[in-house]
Amino acid sequence: MARRSSNDTEAIANVLRVLPAKWIIGLLVAVVLYFFLQPRLNQWFGWSLPSIAAMAGNEAPAKNPKLTNNKTGSAASKSPAATKSTAEPKSPSETKPSAVSKSSSTASSGGAASPKQADEDYKYRILKPVGRDRYESPAGLIYAPGSEEGHRLAHIAKHLEDQPERPGSHGVFEGDMASFLVAIDDAYKRARGHAKGTKSRVEDGMTVYEAPFDQTIGYLGGTEGARKRNPKLKKMRLVIRDRNLITAFPIQ
Amino acid sequence: MAKPFLIYVKHCPVCGDGLCRVRVCQDPRRGRLTGCILCDDCETVWTDPSLRQKFTKGKVAATPCCPDCGESLWEQTSHWADIPEVCLLGWYDSVQIVRTEQRDQIV
Ligand SMILES: [Zn+2]
Ligand SMILES: [Zn+2]
Repeated sequence: MARRSSNDTEAIANVLRVLPAKWIIGLLVAVVLYFFLQPRLNQWFGWSLPSIAAMAGNEAPAKNPKLTNNKTGSAASKSPAATKSTAEPKSPSETKPSAVSKSSSTASSGGAASPKQADEDYKYRILKPVGRDRYESPAGLIYAPGSEEGHRLAHIAKHLEDQPERPGSHGVFEGDMASFLVAIDDAYKRARGHAKGTKSRVEDGMTVYEAPFDQTIGYLGGTEGARKRNPKLKKMRLVIRDRNLITAFPIQ
Repeated sequence: MAKPFLIYVKHCPVCGDGLCRVRVCQDPRRGRLTGCILCDDCETVWTDPSLRQKFTKGKVAATPCCPDCGESLWEQTSHWADIPEVCLLGWYDSVQIVRTEQRDQIV
């Protein structure tokens, strides 16, 4: 990291000497404001503004905490990413749709995002809070409390990992939660629009959609997947009830 | 705590990935145990292991509900059945049982 030379310091001192006092005060106010706002702006808008320390050459520029540990996968590469470790959303009692209440320390320190913060990041980068622990995707799908896991986001997170002991097939999406949510929205929009290759059927108030993808989105897990040597999958199935996403997973 | 056995009737005919499992509801007002079949992935509910009759009307929207009392099957009053409960419901012959833990872990 480049250190400021003595020539630089003299140059700054010379500039300060010729500047009027009110300009210097204004400059100081701007620096203080930037110091406090920089981590928050990075969090709210996903920017990568460097901290004061980074600009002074004392620290590496703050990394965007959201852009870490992106797993491979076609859908993953096209989408905003969250850390894989954040795939498990908190139970309804633990999560609150309050974007502004989260800690701002990680962005300025350049450290890794905490699981809770990154967990909120993927919700707010893709999903919009629409009520108590309810979120809406850009395509209009609702992710609400429910399922055995307490929240539908926690339920679909089960399809981000294989369950090799689970009887039968278990579709596994290869990517993180953020890219999974983007792929689900993509499949939903295309299937609802009856795009080529998609299918839909309505069964007792529940709609099952299927949509193909150009590239592999996951693989077949569970005991059936293991028996077939985990074939790659390029299709997604969604189960939706009253706009609520109940489950989604790659299929053969 | 995770159950040492996974009890299911068959793979879900609706979603394909889910398992149709026995869910019991203990109605706190009447104190009686009732059973139904619930897909653990797409949340489809059937009244019994024949999977002939779905139950879609409940008291909670977009939530699987007990065919007996109509309450959500995700409430504290419901749980996945264990082997004695499956026997009590008379459904033992309809289910498949998979051991999910090593024998020495089963207590
Ligand atoms: Zn199902
Ligand atoms: Zn009941």
